[in-house]
Amino acid sequence: MIIVKIGGNVIKKNLDNVLYDISELAKNQNVIIVHGGGNIVTEISKKLNIEPKFVTSPSGIRSRYTDEKELEVYVMVMAGKINKLIVSKLYALNVKSIGISGADGPILIAERKKRIIIVNQRGRKRVINGGYTGKIKKVNRELINNLLALGYVVVIAPIAIDTDGTLLNVDGDQVACILASALKVSTLIILTDVEGVVVDGYVLKAIKLDEISSILPKIGPGMNRKLLMIKEAIKSGVNKVIIASGLKPEPIKHALEGSGTYIMGE
Amino acid sequence: MLCMPSAKCPICGLNVELPDDVLPGEIIEHECGVVLEVVKDRNDGVVLKPLEGISEDWGE
Repeated sequence: MIIVKIGGNVIKKNLDNVLYDISELAKNQNVIIVHGGGNIVTEISKKLNIEPKFVTSPSGIRSRYTDEKELEVYVMVMAGKINKLIVSKLYALNVKSIGISGADGPILIAERKKRIIIVNQRGRKRVINGGYTGKIKKVNRELINNLLALGYVVVIAPIAIDTDGTLLNVDGDQVACILASALKVSTLIILTDVEGVVVDGYVLKAIKLDEISSILPKIGPGMNRKLLMIKEAIKSGVNKVIIASGLKPEPIKHALEGSGTYIMGE
Repeated sequence: MLCMPSAKCPICGLNVELPDDVLPGEIIEHECGVVLEVVKDRNDGVVLKPLEGISEDWGE
């Protein structure tokens, strides 16, 4: 079983090439796709005159702030526009797929972040309401396994639900890593708009689990977060995680043949 | 003479000077070691209380 996470820039610039590779991969094994698409949510929000809000965490990570209006757009775009675009393109490639969000089933139960600390425009730390973002606490594997057993490629939008039934924006990388752990997949491929983990201008070919901590200070906050989540996935039994460029022709084939950065337990 | 707003630390009782433009929710790391949150009081002034319920950087 393999999970492919497709980032928002890859969806915009190279989706057809990625999905062609997935159609080949799906002939021999079970495939789960987790997609992002925050950049597309931002575009649609602006068209609807809902100005996206971004906040910065004390460690410098800039992130979307999801209020009630923004959540509506987020759900429409992620579970609707992007998810169904992928399903329709896979159908055109003769691949049987089903597009769901983490709230369906539900397969992803999350806890809402009630309050978060941000750095405000004055450069001072401030506590604000956490909006509609969440941290995944539980994965329901049964539905996914059943769909895979029926021969579907499962396409998952990064939306979770809390125990009160509130829909929540969850990070796509978090979804991919937690699903990889829960389903004990052999390989997780994270397709992004960079070549891999870059340190001092060079792409690292391989990172061992015990090297991750020393690499974290040398990379940007976005990749930093990815590596922290990947570390947990590998610790819970995922064989290998590959971070690779999704902007090339045959990006998955190249990733499986050694391009990008491989992260493994040993 | 300029007078900085201030409030009492609920833990050590010392006066804590606050920025002129302080907002509810802002976090003050006081020298006594406690992390405080600025909270609006009934009279539209501000008081300080220990920051609770947030243990991690979210980075969502």
